[in-house]
Amino acid sequence: MNAPMTPFAKPWVANPDGYRVPYEVFTDQAYYDQEQEHIFRGETWSFVGLDAELPNKGDFKSTAIGDTPVIVTRDQTGQLHVFKNLCMHRGALLVRESRGNVKSFDCVYHQWSFDLTGALRGVPMRRGVRGEGGMSPAFDMANFGLDALRVEVMNGLIFASFSKSVEPLADYLGEGIVANIQRIFNRPIRIMGDYRQYIHGNWKLYAENTRDPYHGSLLHLFHSTFGLYRATQKGFTYMDPSNRHCLLKATASAAPTSASEDQEVYKDVRSYNTEFHLQDASVLAGRPEFEDRASLVINAIFPNLLIQQIANCLAVRQSITHAPNAFEIVWTLFGYADDDEEMQMIRMKQSNLVGPAGLISMEDGEAIEIVQDAVIRDGKKTSVLAMGGVHAGSVDHMITEGPIIGFWENYARYLKLGDELKK
Amino acid sequence: MSQTITAAHSAAIDALHAAYLAALDKGDMVAWAATFSLAPEASYFCISTENDRRGLPLALMYDDCRGRIDDRVSFVTKVWVGTYQPYRTRHFIQRLSCESAGNNRYRVTSGFTIMMSAEGGTTAVLTSGEYRDLIEIQGDHAVFCERRAVYDADVLPRYIVFPF
Repeated sequence: MNAPMTPFAKPWVANPDGYRVPYEVFTDQAYYDQEQEHIFRGETWSFVGLDAELPNKGDFKSTAIGDTPVIVTRDQTGQLHVFKNLCMHRGALLVRESRGNVKSFDCVYHQWSFDLTGALRGVPMRRGVRGEGGMSPAFDMANFGLDALRVEVMNGLIFASFSKSVEPLADYLGEGIVANIQRIFNRPIRIMGDYRQYIHGNWKLYAENTRDPYHGSLLHLFHSTFGLYRATQKGFTYMDPSNRHCLLKATASAAPTSASEDQEVYKDVRSYNTEFHLQDASVLAGRPEFEDRASLVINAIFPNLLIQQIANCLAVRQSITHAPNAFEIVWTLFGYADDDEEMQMIRMKQSNLVGPAGLISMEDGEAIEIVQDAVIRDGKKTSVLAMGGVHAGSVDHMITEGPIIGFWENYARYLKLGDELKK
Repeated sequence: MSQTITAAHSAAIDALHAAYLAALDKGDMVAWAATFSLAPEASYFCISTENDRRGLPLALMYDDCRGRIDDRVSFVTKVWVGTYQPYRTRHFIQRLSCESAGNNRYRVTSGFTIMMSAEGGTTAVLTSGEYRDLIEIQGDHAVFCERRAVYDADVLPRYIVFPF
């Protein structure tokens, strides 16, 4: 193991004026390698897909946990499996397609064949040719099944873990997060499609961004301009007991905001404009479909998932890491299988809100990249997280950076940085 | 190519393509919108090959009426001002097919390549793809009734501000 984890002691302490995170966590390969081992391949559950993506026996998709390639598949009995996408013979990628339907996984290199449960079923020339060569008599195919991950499915969300000891998924998420999953995934879904976007920045900048209600109405001027989310609206910030996960919720209609208060709060915002009108307001014309009438729910689940409900625009966003300065977001938008035609159209029109060109998400890509570009040689400098009182935890407002502190406290715990702090 | 297209119509279609590319290469969103029909049902869709192949409707940009095309102009020129890093593009196209759809309308497909130069950066390929258009000849010029830009990149290399 490389040993870069020495300079922490001071920066990571929460001072009264702010919690401070050294920028080297975003740029240093050694942190990235530790994250792969202790977070993505450690005691966590990672999101790998929706069971609606794999409706039929033999369906598979390839994806990644952190940067480890994995295959998600449904076997001939309907059971879901997640395997490392790695042939047990000589390490080749077993699956190169994004999606498909197969009867077996056959490695192109030497045609070793694995069934959908991961068992090795075929090794060409295993007994040699004309009595010569072949595998050693000690070779037992039963010992060379694919590396299988633990799998749990909750309301159609597929999670996998490399850990044999991580707590069950429901305990890992906590009651409040499970309740939101049950709220959104309350009946069969219909997948509308995917967006995939490469971001030239560190994946943790997106983990911060999705736990950051402070930026919501300031970076995303569409929000404040059209009232999907303003800081003057009623909202709350929920964190699970471990502070790993975060649920931000705003209700557009709960407490009507006054124009004068909005003017005061946003008086310094660069182009907040209440006079701007849409030619076609259908992007905002939705239908209430949840009892709590929340207009915005952003649910970040450690380490790689975000579940969103923005008006009637429903999506999961999966982060896949590539390098300290590169990650990918896979967005899967969905509606419900029983949506009527009008509701399907509402969701299509609202899909313009999100994605790589989304009216309230395009700017997140830019925000991440300008941090990555700026901190490149200032690894010992720190950010300051002070909004909302320098502590993680649930609060009944959204003017806080507490969820970001919760993320970093857990990050330090997973990477065992706390041991450094105590020295 | 269909035998029925006249030289004048073919020239009008070429001029429309040129106007579209010139508008985007100048970053002129008003000129971009002006290449579309003023009819309420005029539409612009930008969709990934992945979704298109899977038969899924999700589009990167889903402007299914004239009003939403005009609103996209406002998003880029008003709402998003100052939030994105400026970038310039060069679009290149090659017409692949053109068939009459009757009533002075044509179904036209073209391959496209978009080069992107970010401020202070090098020039790179943004994506390639295929335009699938319904074009109408109105007097001496042509307009898009529908433009469907199906882009090739499975993973877009960055966030996107301007239409393809």
